[in-house]
Amino acid sequence: MRALPVTTLACLVVTTACGGGGDGQSPARGSQLTYYETYDPRSLDPALSTDVPTGEMVTLAYDGLTQFDPDGGLLPALADRWTVARGGLRYVFHLRAGVRFHDGTRLTPEAVRQSFLRVLTPGTRGGRAWPLYPIAGAAAYASGRSSEVTGIGLLGDSAVALDLAEPLAIFPKFLAMPVAAVVPAPPPADLGQHPVGSGPWRFVAWQHDDYLRFARNQDYWAGAPAADTLTVRIIPEPLTRAAEFEAGRLSVMEVPFGETARWRREHPELLLEKPALRVVYVALNNRRGPLRNVRVRQAINYAVNVPEILATVYGGRGILARGAIPPGLPGSDTARTGYHYEPAEAKRLLQAAGYGSGIELQLWRNTSNVELARVAQAVQAQLEPVGIRVELVERDASSQREAARKGETDMVVLDWWADYPDADNFLYPLFYSGSFGPGGNYAFYADAAADSLILRARRTTDDAARTALYREIDERVYRAAPWLYLWFPTDLWAKRPDVVGWDVPVIFNGQRWTGARRAP
Amino acid sequence: MRLLARRLLLTLPSLLGVLVVAFLLLDVAPGDPVTAMVGERADSATIARLRAELHLDDPLPTQFGHYVWDVVRGDLGRSYITQRPIAQDLGERFPKTAELALAAMALAAVTGITLGVLSAVRPGGIVDRIAMLLSYLGVSFPVYWVGLLLILVFAVALKWLPPSGSGGLAYLVLPALTLGMRSIAFLARMTRAAMLDVLSSDFIRTARAKGLAERVVVLRHGFRNALVPVITVLGLDTGNYLTGSILTETIFGWPGLGRYVLTAIDKRDLPAIQGSILFMSVVFLVVNLITDLLYAKADPRVAYD
Repeated sequence: MRALPVTTLACLVVTTACGGGGDGQSPARGSQLTYYETYDPRSLDPALSTDVPTGEMVTLAYDGLTQFDPDGGLLPALADRWTVARGGLRYVFHLRAGVRFHDGTRLTPEAVRQSFLRVLTPGTRGGRAWPLYPIAGAAAYASGRSSEVTGIGLLGDSAVALDLAEPLAIFPKFLAMPVAAVVPAPPPADLGQHPVGSGPWRFVAWQHDDYLRFARNQDYWAGAPAADTLTVRIIPEPLTRAAEFEAGRLSVMEVPFGETARWRREHPELLLEKPALRVVYVALNNRRGPLRNVRVRQAINYAVNVPEILATVYGGRGILARGAIPPGLPGSDTARTGYHYEPAEAKRLLQAAGYGSGIELQLWRNTSNVELARVAQAVQAQLEPVGIRVELVERDASSQREAARKGETDMVVLDWWADYPDADNFLYPLFYSGSFGPGGNYAFYADAAADSLILRARRTTDDAARTALYREIDERVYRAAPWLYLWFPTDLWAKRPDVVGWDVPVIFNGQRWTGARRAP
Repeated sequence: MRLLARRLLLTLPSLLGVLVVAFLLLDVAPGDPVTAMVGERADSATIARLRAELHLDDPLPTQFGHYVWDVVRGDLGRSYITQRPIAQDLGERFPKTAELALAAMALAAVTGITLGVLSAVRPGGIVDRIAMLLSYLGVSFPVYWVGLLLILVFAVALKWLPPSGSGGLAYLVLPALTLGMRSIAFLARMTRAAMLDVLSSDFIRTARAKGLAERVVVLRHGFRNALVPVITVLGLDTGNYLTGSILTETIFGWPGLGRYVLTAIDKRDLPAIQGSILFMSVVFLVVNLITDLLYAKADPRVAYD
C-alpha cells in the first residue's frame, strides 16, 4: 500500500518506455524525413494558401508554372519555358509534356485556366488572389464585376497565354507563389483535405494539429524525391522543437532565439546560416502627430543604438538595415551611409523640428512575437534620453494588425517576409501609396516621386535598369525615414548530420525536399 | 430519472447565457477574422467583399439569431479560416483531450488520494512530511516549467519517452503527469485535511474501540466519509481538463481542444470560438451533473428533492 504511488508511476514509465514505438513518428530512419510547422496549415487547397505553413505544404504537393530554388532563383516548373511579347503585356507559358497529376489526370492548359479561375472566383474565401490580379480582367472577375477573365487564353493543348493589364516584369515570379499552383481540371471536390497536385510529394494523411504525411511521387516530372516519406509534425513550442531535434526526431529545425548562444557553442557543426529575405523595422506612421515631420523620424533613427539591440536582444542574428531591400536581392545596399547611433544629432533634429521639449508616442508590439516585443522595449528605453517618451501598447497579433492597418498606431514593430524574391516585394507593398494599410504600407508613407519610380520599375523589363531603379527608390525612401530601420534577419538552422541535400531556403516556398535524404 | 431530466433542462438557459456573453465579448474585442484570412498583404476591396460574404457587417442581433437557429438545427457552422465543419473539428480534438484528461485524472486520483490518506494516518510522520512537501511543490511549480523539465529529463537526457506528439501510451505519460501534477498536489492536501477531520470524530473512536482493524477503520469508515470534498476536487478538475489545457497541449504538441480554441481566438475565427465555447460548456455541465450524482452515491444523506 505504501509503495503504491511510486510503483504505479514506475510501471507506467517502464511499460511505455519498453513498448515504445508510438505511431511511427520515431526517428526518421532509412529514407524518412521529418520536418515541422509551428501551427496547423489552414488548408491544403492552393486557393486558401495565405499563411506560411499552408504555403509550404502546398509547395510539396503541387506545382506552379514556375518555382523558386532555395536561394530564391526562379526556375521553370510546369511551364518548361516562357516567352514575353507585345512589349511585356503577353506571357506565353509552354507546358511541360507528359505531366500527370497524382490522380493520373493529364496536365492541360485548361487545368491552368480553371486553377486560376477558382482562386479568383468570389466566394472562394482565400483572400490572397493578388498574384493573379495582373492578368487582364482578373481583378474585375474577382470583385464580381465581370464573368470572364479576358487575359487567360489557351493555345492548343500545350500553352497558356496570359495577357496583363499593364507590363509587369516580375510576373513569372508571381506564378511561383502557392496560390498560383495548378490543380487538375475539373478540380477535385475536397482539395483542402485531400490535395491532388503534380508536385514531388503525394499526400498520405493529415492528423490536424499533430502531423501531415507525404510519400514521394514516383512519377514526378523532375525525378522522384530522394527520400521515401516526408512527415511534417506540428510543434508549436520552440523549446519542444529543440528537444525533438536533439532526440533525433526532426531532420532540420530553426534554432529557437533563446537557444542561439548554446547551439553556436555546443553544436556548431550542425548549424546552417543564411541571410533571409526578411526585414525587421518599426513603422513610423508618417501621417500622425510629430511623426509627420521628417526630422522627427530621422531623429528616431539617430537615437536608437540598433547594433546593440541586434546583438543583445536578437542574438546577433541579422545584418543592419540601411534600406528596405535585404542583401541577396539585386538593388540591395547594406553599405549605404546613413543613420547611426548619435543621440546628440537626434536631439538637434528634434530641436530643429520644434520639439525641443520632447514628444510622447505610442509603440505597439504584439504578444505572439516574443523577440520583437523585446526589441520594442529596447527601443523605448533608448528613445527616452533624447526626449521621446514612449508608451508601449501590447496587443495580440490580430488586434495589432487591425490597428496598424487603420493607421491608429504611432509606431509599430514589425517584420516583413518576402512573398517572392524580388526587391519589388520590399518596395511596392511597403512604400507605394496605393498599398496603404492592408496592402503593407503601415508607415502610410506617400511620395509622388517614389510612387512613380516604383511603378516604372515594375514596367521595366531590363534587369539592370530595374535594379538601378530599385536602388534609387530605396535610397530616396531611406532619406525620408518612414521607418526606424533595424535589420535583415539571418536564419539559423540546425540539420541532423546524416541529412544531405537540404539547404535553408531564403523564401518559405523555396525548399521542396526533392534532393533531401538520409545518408547511410 | 426525473432529477436528471430536470437538471438537463436547467442547463439550457445556462448555455444560452454562455452564448450571449461569448457573442458580446467577441463583438467588443478588437481584431477581425478577415485580417487572419487574407494574410499579410491584401486590398481593401477583398476585405470588404469577405466581410460582406461572412455577414460580419450585419447587426449583432441578426448574427446571433442566425447562429442560434443553426445550432438548434444541429449545425455549428464552418470555420472561417479552414472552411472545415466545426463539429468535425471538435469531434477530432475531443477524444484526444479526453484521453489526456482521463489519464491525468486517473494518475491524480490514485496518487493524490493515496498520498493524502497515508499522510493523514500519521500526521507529522515522515510520509506526511514528504507528501506535503511534494504537494506544496506540485501546487507551486508552473505547468510550463515542469513540462519542459520533464521533456529535458525523460526525452532528451534519458531518451525513455518521446518529447511530444500523440500516439501510443508512451506519448501520454509526460503530458498526463504535467497536467495531473496540480491535481495530485491538491488532492493530496484535500484528502489529508478531510481524513484528519473524519479520523478525529466520535464514530471512528467507536470503530477502533470495538476492535476493528486499523485498515478497515481508515478505509471503510474514515475514507468513505472524507469522500465528498475529494469528489468536488475531482469533478472540478476533470471538467477543467476535459475542456482542454492550453499550456500542456502546446508544450507537448498534443492535438486537443485547448490548442484548437487558442488558434481560433488568435485568428478571430468566430464560428470556431463560439462552437468551442458551446461544446466546452456542455462538457462542463455534464461533468458537474455527474459530480452531483456522485455526491449522493458517496453520502446517502445528500438528496436532491
